Order: sequence, then structure tokens, then C-alpha cells
Amino acid sequence: MFLEIKGIKKHFGEGESRVEVLNGIDIEIEKGEICVLLGPSGSGKSTLLNIIGGIDNADAGYISIAGEKTAEMNEKRLTQYRRKHLGYVFQMYNLIPNLNIKENVEVGAYLSDNPLEIDELLKVLGLYEHRHKLPNQLSGGQQQRTAIGRAIIKNPDILLCDEPTGALDYKTSKEILKLIEEVNQKYGNTVIMVTHNDAIKNMADRVIKLRDGMVRKNYVNESKIPAAELEW
Amino acid sequence: MRNPLHKRLPREFKSDFGKYLVIFLFIAGLIALVSGFLVADNSMIAAYNEGFEKYNIENGNFELMLEADDELIETLEQEGVTVYDQRYVNEAVEENDSTMRVYKNREEVNLPCLMEGRIPEQADEIAIDRMYADNNEISVGDTVTLGGNQLTVTGLVALPDYSCLFENNTDMMFDSLTFCVAVMTDAGFESLGEDHLHYAYAWKYDKEPADEREEKEVSDDFMKVIAENAIITNFIPRYANQAIQFTGEDMGGDKAMFILFLYIVVVIIAFVFAITTSNTIAEEASVIGTLRASGFTRGELIRHYLISPLMVTLLAAVVGNILGYTVLKEYMVGLYYGSYSLPTYETLWNGEAFVETTVVPFVLMLVINLAILVSKLKLSPLKFLRHDLSKRTKKKAFRLNTKIPFLTRFRLRIIFQNIPNYITLLIGIMFASLIMVFGMMFGPLFEDYAKEIDASMFADYQYVLKAQMDTETEGAEKYCVATLQTTTDKYPTEDIMVYGIEDDSDYVDIDFKEGEAHVSNGYMIKYGLKDGDIITLKDKYSDDIYEFTVAGEYEYPAALAVFLPRREFNEIFDKKEDYYSGYLSNKELDDIEDSYISTVITQEDLTKISRQLTVSMGDFMVLFEYFGVVMFLLLMYLLSKQIIEKNAGAISMVKILGYSNGEIGGLYIIATTVAVVISLLLAMPVCNYILRWLFSSYLYTEISGYIPYIVSNTIYVKTIIYGIASYAVVAALQMFKIGRIPKSDALKNVE
Repeated sequence: MFLEIKGIKKHFGEGESRVEVLNGIDIEIEKGEICVLLGPSGSGKSTLLNIIGGIDNADAGYISIAGEKTAEMNEKRLTQYRRKHLGYVFQMYNLIPNLNIKENVEVGAYLSDNPLEIDELLKVLGLYEHRHKLPNQLSGGQQQRTAIGRAIIKNPDILLCDEPTGALDYKTSKEILKLIEEVNQKYGNTVIMVTHNDAIKNMADRVIKLRDGMVRKNYVNESKIPAAELEW
Repeated sequence: MRNPLHKRLPREFKSDFGKYLVIFLFIAGLIALVSGFLVADNSMIAAYNEGFEKYNIENGNFELMLEADDELIETLEQEGVTVYDQRYVNEAVEENDSTMRVYKNREEVNLPCLMEGRIPEQADEIAIDRMYADNNEISVGDTVTLGGNQLTVTGLVALPDYSCLFENNTDMMFDSLTFCVAVMTDAGFESLGEDHLHYAYAWKYDKEPADEREEKEVSDDFMKVIAENAIITNFIPRYANQAIQFTGEDMGGDKAMFILFLYIVVVIIAFVFAITTSNTIAEEASVIGTLRASGFTRGELIRHYLISPLMVTLLAAVVGNILGYTVLKEYMVGLYYGSYSLPTYETLWNGEAFVETTVVPFVLMLVINLAILVSKLKLSPLKFLRHDLSKRTKKKAFRLNTKIPFLTRFRLRIIFQNIPNYITLLIGIMFASLIMVFGMMFGPLFEDYAKEIDASMFADYQYVLKAQMDTETEGAEKYCVATLQTTTDKYPTEDIMVYGIEDDSDYVDIDFKEGEAHVSNGYMIKYGLKDGDIITLKDKYSDDIYEFTVAGEYEYPAALAVFLPRREFNEIFDKKEDYYSGYLSNKELDDIEDSYISTVITQEDLTKISRQLTVSMGDFMVLFEYFGVVMFLLLMYLLSKQIIEKNAGAISMVKILGYSNGEIGGLYIIATTVAVVISLLLAMPVCNYILRWLFSSYLYTEISGYIPYIVSNTIYVKTIIYGIASYAVVAALQMFKIGRIPKSDALKNVE
């Protein structure tokens, strides 16, 4: 199994304000799968994504990626682990405002010993014509494409997307989802996407539904449809 | 692959050009100033040190009551020295009432350095000290009248035994305004007559003493030999000759102060940079979180954020050093030539100055910014993504009483939110105020001091006689005076005047008691004396020790002095009962011939120190004053700019809520105004404390004698006004900036 999530527990706060956010999560994800984590606000999906991404610690359990357990890593190794294996896309694009589009993508390339060809990727992302522009000269969708480009340029094993369409309109959201799908097909990365948009589950290979910190559903989507056909 | 984050730097410099330019100019200017000073200082010190050999400077000099004959010279030279005739005449310059000490052309010892023109060749020609000529606007070709002889100035010289124009070695301060040294041909010298002739001799050791200790022993022994064979009126070994040594000691002393000044300012600027970077980190928290989550190491980000302060510092250091070696060096050399009569110099590469003005500021900038960046970037990527930059687990809101009006609470919140900015502002304002008060205090201080001296003078004329002579002048009162030296280690050895005064003196109002001495107020303050203390003094030319019990203070700021009844003075110094040294008188003594008068001390003599310091420190002080204003402007601009930028979102939001620009300015500008005014008010007592401390622990170790610590209140008021005026300029700029913050800022990047 490529990604193994075993017995993950996590709480926030202490005493009366203690909240159990994750209550023993067990998930296995195959390499190259698109996995959608669904759930209402406070269900623990973003926390789980952060633990997978090595930017948050679990109270118990472990994450194993290709046999490497993140809990056993010190901070330095965790940084290297993120650098080597992970790409991150957030709801807010978090681009560097005084770098142009190409340079923002180069920021991701810098982290890899063997990055993808940048101009080719910019073309895939539909950003080649805009490569010399600054982020504030682009639309939200184009900025999110850039953020995806920055994450994918280093060709990570896992692309972690936290509400990547949360700040976008319907049309732009669909374009972004199509792009994620295209990237997954072209480069074979495992995609784990957190969303509260139920419709997005239809493009996933695996759907996991969380509620109150527990996995309520975990199934392989037999009726997967292309992102272009998603409706909500 | 080069870190692509660094590509931001040119755009960052461009977008915040004002900030970087101001900091760059300030650091470059500061480094230019200090580098220029250090290069000038080093080159001048080298020229000064080389001068000892190059101009064959004496090992000491002495004066005799009568001319030394060949037999005496032979006796003295048996002590392992070569004695040179250095007789001189002190003549009044008729054009400007100053004193010119004229020597014969020197060919063996204390050789003159010709700065301009030529050495005199005719009897009616004279070469005078270059600095005195500058101060009195005398040029080559002009004439001066000495003892009725009109002489043409053929050259401007620096005499190496008068690199500092001390007329008497006991003077508190040199005097390049009313005292000058000069050389003439032998025939010219003879034409000045013998009325004011002094039989002075210089000596050189056949074998130089190994160290200062040996030099002291050898010179003490030599002095005893002279005293056994002749009537000695003055004896100054080179190590104790202020006219030779003061320049070297003073140049070295200023260096430490300049470097300290540079480092303090660099540290303050480093903190300003660090605060700027901290605010940038807060602004870019999401980006930093994303980069860290993507695998950027903390080290990579620290290095990235370090580049701009280090680049600015390095570039400023390079430009500063270039300016220092060129423009500023000339300016600083000019300042030195304005204070000292130094020979010609060559500019020397100064490796130490490079380290002090480039490497150390760079390292200070690096260490301070690195420490703050390490601390700021210690947080986890998640904390950055959540904009939770507090290191404490829970950030509690500071409770404010709801009885405080809302707008006041709002302003208080702004102040609490920006405490690090305000602390840096407070420290910066304190330092700028200190520089400013220091720059402005000396003019009024010297004026007040001159007034104090004037008010406390014993008499209009204080005559010191070579031999006792009676006078018929009404009101003239006999007194005694002797010079002893201090024995404490607190400050370098200095002369103390011991006066013997008539019991019911008309001039010195002291109620003497048996066995007790009164001490001048300057002596009391400088040495921290109090009633009942015992002071121990020693004779300069013997090993005799004298002890006096302090009975009280006498207001006489002109000198460090001890006052005794004349009767007791004569007992202590083993003099006859009717012995006296001279007269105190409010009228000139017309019935005593000039040849019997050693010195007449007038108000002019006593206020020499204030005049000279005003001339030689004036330019420096103006520099300090300007620097203080620039520093006020710089710090206030940078730190208030930070506060406005940091709150751009909030300002935008209150604009949306309907607040006018004026009302917003009232919130944000007034908060900073309060901080500025409080900082200025707090700075004044701190400045007073530090300056008082500097006087006792630095200035008093540098000068012999006493200058009272007086800072007129108007100086503090002026400093506060300068500070507020500087802030008014900055506040106007910030108001403009507030007006330009768009309402859309509040809606951007809201997660």
C-alpha cells in the first residue's frame, strides 16, 4: 500500500474546551488515486490533511508513505519529506506577490532535483501567455492554476489540495478540477483533495466521508466521471 | 538552481524604494563620516608619530632664570644628554593683542615643517604657525607687528614641539586663537630685544630610555642635576609636555567615541530592519506557511530575509568607505588642522577602519537580524498558515476599562499592538536626543562657564612676580601661590594651584580655620570631595607630599585650587613669614617693572578654555546637531510607516465603516504622537544622566582642570521642539499615506 493512515487521533484544547478532532482514522490509498475527503466543517478533514502533509502532529497512530513513517521523523527529516514527496494547494493561493507567474512556479521547481519542464507545465496550466505577469494581474482561477503549478512542478508523489475551489466560482472551479485530473493522469501523482462540495466526489477514485473525527464512509468510486462532467 | 525567492529583491527594493533609500543614505553617510574620520585620524596620527624622528623632537625642555654658560651646558651634557639652545621671546602682536612666541630658525632639534611659503631669510621676515594664521586670517605676504617691528610673513609652519598650542604646560586648554609660535632668522630674533627673552633649552637623550617609567626616572634625575647647578623656572620632560603629547592622546581618544557612535547607530538601524522584517513576515505568513509546507527549510527562508538588510549595509559600507576616503577624509583632516598644528600627511590605507566600518556593522546587522529571524521563523508551517504568530499558547486581550472613551481605547490598543516599534522608537529618540543635546550644549556651556569665571575672579589682575617687589598701588593685596600635583589614580596627574590668602582678604572671601583648607568648587566636584576629606598632593620637582583637610568649598571654577591662609601657606612650604608670590589687584600695577613680572592672569587667560573649545569643537558640534535631526526623521519615518503599513487592512476596514481620513489619522497618528512625545520627555532626564556620567568618566579623564557640567534648560526645550517638528513632517507624510490606502485592501486576502 502506497499511503497508509493508521489509528490517527488528534485533539485540540484542554479541559472543558478539549475537542477530539480525529478519533482513530484508518485509511489506505493506492498510488495514483484521486482521493476526495468529504465532510462538514469541523469534521477533521483539514486536520487529517495537515497530518498527512507533516505540518501537524497526530496524538496517536501513524502515516506511512511508501514504507516511511512520518511520526518517526524529526523536523529536519519532515521538511525533507515534504520537499521530496508532497505538493500543497490551499484554498487561498498564497502566491508571492512580487514574483511573476513563472517565478512563482520556479519556487516549487527549486525544491526538486528533477523538476518538470517549466514552460511545458505552464502550457498545460494555460498560463504560458501570462508567465511574465504578477499574481495581482490574474484572475482567481489563474492564480489557483499557478498555485497548482508551483505544487506540481516538482512532480510530487502526493498532491494535497485543501479546498482548492473554495474561493472560486462554478466555472473556474470546474476548470481547476479538470486541471487536477489532467495533472493526475499526466504525471501519475496521488491526489488527496479536501472539500465540502459533495459533487466533487464523482471525479474521485476513492471517496472518504468524515464526521465528528471518524470515517463514516470509505469506498472506491465505481462510477467515476470526468471532472468536465461534474455538476452542482 | 538559485533560490527563485531572491528574484523578489529587486522588486522589493523598487516597491519600498523610499525606505531602503533612507536607510542606505543614513548608513552610508554615517559610515562615510566614521571612515573619513578614522582614515584622517590614522593618517594624521602616523604623520604625528613619524614627526618625532622626522623633525627630531626634543626629549624635554627647561627654562633657567639666567642664561646657561658653556660650563653649565657641559655639566648637564655629562648626564647623557645633548642640550640645545631654544631661547624664545614672547611678544604681543600689535594687530590683534595675541602672544607670539618667537624662536630662532631651528636646524638641529624641533625642526619646523613648512606648510606654505618659505622659511625667513631676512631680519624683517617671520614664519608663523599655520593654525594660528588660519584662525586669524593671516596669509603669506601679510605683515605682523611685534615690539614695534613690522615683519612680513614668509611662510606658515608647524613646529613639532607645538602640535598643540599650549602657551603654558599648566594651561587647561591650548589656545590657537591668541597664542602663536614663530621662527625668525638669528638677526631678526636679536632685533626683538631681551625684555621678554626666556632662556629655554631643549634636550635629547644620547640613548633613548627604554620605556616611560625609565624616561621618568631619567628626567627626574636630570631635573635634580639642573636644579643643583642653576635656578630653574620651568622643566617639562616630553612625556609631560601637553604641547607635544595632547594631540596624540586626543586623536586616539576621539576614535573610540566615533566607533562607539557608529556601532550604537548601526544597532538601532539593525533593530529597525528587524522590526520591518518581522512585519513583512506577519504580512507574508500564508506564503511562508505554504513554502514551509512545500518543503522550504527554515534556513532557506532566514537566508532570504537576511539578504536585504545585509545588502543595504554592505552597499552602504562600500559607498560610505569611498566617500570616507575622499570627501569626508578631507573634511575631517580640515577639522584636525583646525584644532592642531600638525605637519603634512599622506593618506594611509587603514585596514582597521575597514573592519570597523564595514565588517563590524555587517556582523552587527547579521547577528541582530539573524537572532530575530530565527525566533520569528521558529513557528510551525501550520501556525504561519493560520496567521497564529504568537509564541504564547493563548493570546489574551489586554483588558481596558470601558469607562475610557472608545477612541482612547482604540489608540491604546494601537500602542499595545506596536510595543516593539515604540520601544525601538524610544531608544532611537533617546540616542538622537543625546547626540543633539551633546551637539548643542557646549556653546551655552562655554558662555555660562566664562560668565561664572568672570563672576568669581579674585581680582581684575593677578600678578605672579619673578622676585618680591613692593607696590604703592591702592588695593593691591599680597598672596602666595604654588603648584602641586594630584596623587590619586582617578584621573591622570594634574596640577593643583595652592593659594595663600590674607586672613581678611578683600578679594577672596573665606573664613579660614587653623589647619584646614578650602577647595575650589571644580576640584570638589571633579574629585567628588566633601568636607572633612583629606587630599594628598605632591611637589612636582621633589618627592615632598602635602596633606590638606577640606573645610569647605570656595566658588572658583577657573582652576582646581586649594586655599590656605597666607601665614599657614608659608609655614607649610617652608617660606619666610613675609613671603609672597604676587599681588591681587583691581588696578594695573604701574610701579613694578615688566622684567619682575612673571605672569599677569586676567579674565582673558582664565576663559581661554571656553574660547578654544568653541573654535576646535564648533564644527563637530554642528555635525552632531544635524545628525540628531536626521536620526529623528529617519526613525520616526521608518517606524511610523511600519505602523501604518501593518494596519493597512484595519485602516481600510474603518474607511469602509465610514471613518474619514482625518478621523483615522486621529487614531493612528495620535497614538504614535503620544509615543513620540512620551519618548522625548523620557529622553531628557536620561540624556542628562548619561551626559553627566560622560563628563565624569570620559571628559574629565581627557582634560586637565574642570569644566562645570551645565546644560541649559533651553537646550532640552530646543531638542524637544526639534523632535516634535521632525515628527510633524513625518506625520504629514503618514497622513498622506493613510489617505492613499484603498478601501479594497480590507477585502483582500481574507481567509
